[in-house]
Amino acid sequence: MKIGLEVHVQLPTRSKMFCSCPTTDAEAPNTHVCPTCLGMPGVKPVMNKKAVEYGIKLAKMLNCEIPEVMWFSRKTYFYPDMSKGVQITQYENTVGKKGIYYVNGGRPIHITKIQLEEDPGKTKRFGDQSSLVDYNRAGTPLTEIVTDPDFKTPAEAREFLRQLIADIRHTIDLPDDGERSIRADCNISVGVERVEVKNVSGLKNVERALTFEFVRQTKILKAGGKIERETRGFDEERGVTFSVRKKEWEADYGYINEPDLGIFHIGDLARSITIKESPTKMAVRLSQEYKIDQKTADQFVSTSVGLAKMFEVLVKATDIQTALSWTKGTISANWKTFEACGKDPEGITKIIKKLSEGRITDVEADIELKAYMAGRDACAIREQCGDLCKIIEKYLDANPEIVNEIKRNEKAINRVIGHVMKETGGKYSSADIVSETKNALCHRL
Amino acid sequence: MKDLLAKLSKLNDKYSMFTTITADKDAGDSKFLFSAKDGLTSKDMETKCGSRILEGYRPVFDATAIAKMREAGGKLIGKTNMDEFGFGSFSTNSPFGVPKNPYDLERSCGGSSGGAACAASVIEYHVALGVSTGGSVCCPASFCGVYGLVPTYGRVSRYGVIDNGNSLDKVGLLSSCPFQIAKFLPIISGKDPKDPTSCCQPELEIKGKKIKSVAVPENALDGLSKDVRSGFNASLDTLRGMGIDVEMITMPSLKYAIPAYYIIETSEASTNLASYVGMRYGRQDGDLSLKFDDYFNYFRTEYFGDETKRRIILGTYARMAGLRDRYYSKSLRVRLHIISSYKEILKEHDAVLTPTMPFVSPRFDEISNMSPVESYSADRLTVPPNLTGMPHMSVPCGYDGNGMPMGMQIVTDHWQEDRLLTFAKEWGAVFDVRRPEVPL
Repeated sequence: MKIGLEVHVQLPTRSKMFCSCPTTDAEAPNTHVCPTCLGMPGVKPVMNKKAVEYGIKLAKMLNCEIPEVMWFSRKTYFYPDMSKGVQITQYENTVGKKGIYYVNGGRPIHITKIQLEEDPGKTKRFGDQSSLVDYNRAGTPLTEIVTDPDFKTPAEAREFLRQLIADIRHTIDLPDDGERSIRADCNISVGVERVEVKNVSGLKNVERALTFEFVRQTKILKAGGKIERETRGFDEERGVTFSVRKKEWEADYGYINEPDLGIFHIGDLARSITIKESPTKMAVRLSQEYKIDQKTADQFVSTSVGLAKMFEVLVKATDIQTALSWTKGTISANWKTFEACGKDPEGITKIIKKLSEGRITDVEADIELKAYMAGRDACAIREQCGDLCKIIEKYLDANPEIVNEIKRNEKAINRVIGHVMKETGGKYSSADIVSETKNALCHRL
Repeated sequence: MKDLLAKLSKLNDKYSMFTTITADKDAGDSKFLFSAKDGLTSKDMETKCGSRILEGYRPVFDATAIAKMREAGGKLIGKTNMDEFGFGSFSTNSPFGVPKNPYDLERSCGGSSGGAACAASVIEYHVALGVSTGGSVCCPASFCGVYGLVPTYGRVSRYGVIDNGNSLDKVGLLSSCPFQIAKFLPIISGKDPKDPTSCCQPELEIKGKKIKSVAVPENALDGLSKDVRSGFNASLDTLRGMGIDVEMITMPSLKYAIPAYYIIETSEASTNLASYVGMRYGRQDGDLSLKFDDYFNYFRTEYFGDETKRRIILGTYARMAGLRDRYYSKSLRVRLHIISSYKEILKEHDAVLTPTMPFVSPRFDEISNMSPVESYSADRLTVPPNLTGMPHMSVPCGYDGNGMPMGMQIVTDHWQEDRLLTFAKEWGAVFDVRRPEVPL
């Protein structure tokens, strides 16, 4: 089985790719439009420089070759939502090509190319067979990342996509509005012929669509049938793919160079752009630099790049072991709350420093951290947590075998939960109990 | 000016040069009147680009060239007739009547800016905006005995030019008076943020730079009609008399221009025409309950003319995968080769000179007997400079035994419009333009 992905990412520019219409959601259909994005006769596209910069950033993130000059092409096909009858995209000399991207710091996935292009509008179909077209989206800048058919399983494709999305978000500051702005075309061939499942959004759906196709194609081949080259859609509700049309061949698109835009000399621009370290690269670096295991580094980074940075700050303020155990424990457990309340990470460093200088105990540090990170009053927390901590510590002291059991199988924490619930009559939530137990265990390592 | 506005529709009845005429007979406080080819979008006038598919279309914006003429105090009096989307050399591919040559109503005005040349010829001191892709300004200028200037590609904004071949389209000027052309070129020139291809131009400098030597490619003179040959030879003598050095050269690359041009032009045009499906502007009719591709098919079959369909098919073929390298991509390389062959000659000479058209304006019955290839090859002298994007101009240079005008075409290096304008004025002083007899 061979799987390749074409990932479409909407670039976070304020205006469209070739005109100044806004890219934000519109109140009504066909309101964020102008002669240019409607493709009125006589208009000319004018490139949004920001879109090119984003393209270069992503090309760098994917370790692509970036050419000195790039240009755009016209891809011609007839569809009502394509206002110009052509789509401006890249075909030759794209913003990046021949990249390489490592999944989980391990297996390399080859990036065929990364190209810039505009989104078409949207067609809305109605039950009475009529259709309406909304061009608000027409001209929204997209980048398409095309991989080689390097994936061996649907799960691997999903893992790649998960990591890729996190890296993209971080690299171009893509707002975190679910997975709405990221769509993937999934190419899969079990036999010889390739099938493309268009416009799948969401990680889970990508894996589901691919798995469904794998099973469907395998069945056809086993029954001695032939797989047709075609484009399919994915029905999220039923989890099945369905035929949309027989796949167009490249010949049908009739690419020519986009004559209205000319050639872009992007070499100097590309050299002047530096990108932030991507979460994936950061995880690999953390694991190598501080000799911590890859999984922990991944966890830090996938919780938040901020948490991973916190870890590095703590290492410098104290030592690797202290930084590691506290980042893994209390700090990581409370990180989302901390980010939400917007406090200064400097406060965390101060608490851990006090601890490593022996001015406070583990338990005190734990309480102070929680209070600080929740932006709440330390005394109240100290009291409440102190009680919970005491109960758990006491229970663990009395039943040392549980500590080892939990290390083997996290589900053993249920026994602690049961005990605390019984002891306090359900005063603490099981989530709190779990996080406290984990804290307690960290310090017992 | 009032006079002209009053008799405009009568004039048009005779020559069919306009497809739309201003309803306003009052010149108001405008400083001059001008017309524009219907391939340029205009806010207050229907813009059809010579096609039934755009009937009834009123753009919401002015083409930059029209906007600049208006800003300078001009009044747009009408939109001139043309071949559909600029496809043709005789303006006979127009569904809105065919403009008639002011020197002989049985003959063509040339194309595709035929209506513009006719207006420039019939109306004294008139300036008409035209558009040239492969010769659409020089050809009609030659057939109608007027001056036609095509500036360097990118000199005048293409915003509002309804695209034929985007990498070739240029807004140009036609007038019977060379001074009018010199006056209005600076007005319509300049960078326009709405057209990126206009943004890399150097400033237009008018310093009175002269043309001191011209190169005449001998191989371009093959197949000229007898009249054009003798008219052109006489002009060469006049040039020598003006102190201009005339040298005969050979330019083998010229013969590749026609095939390369028609491939690039049809390739680009066929993509531009993809947006005409009867959905967003212009004419809208047909059975909306059809599936979209059936509706599009019906609409395009019904409202595109034959020549337009021919170019769509040619262009689509030339850019198909597998054929693309052989036709489209190769033509782009041929274009570069032709540019460098001009550059080479223009190192030694100030301009390249040829006749504009190999014959004087043909009669309509002769045109209807021409095959597409014959009519395409009529452009063999106007196509090469258009392919290079170099500025060029047709100036009237003689008349045949029937009094039909002919022109010669002079090409300078990129951005050297100044030399052309200076030459036009000097030529205007020695060459006596015969004006056609205009009734009313």
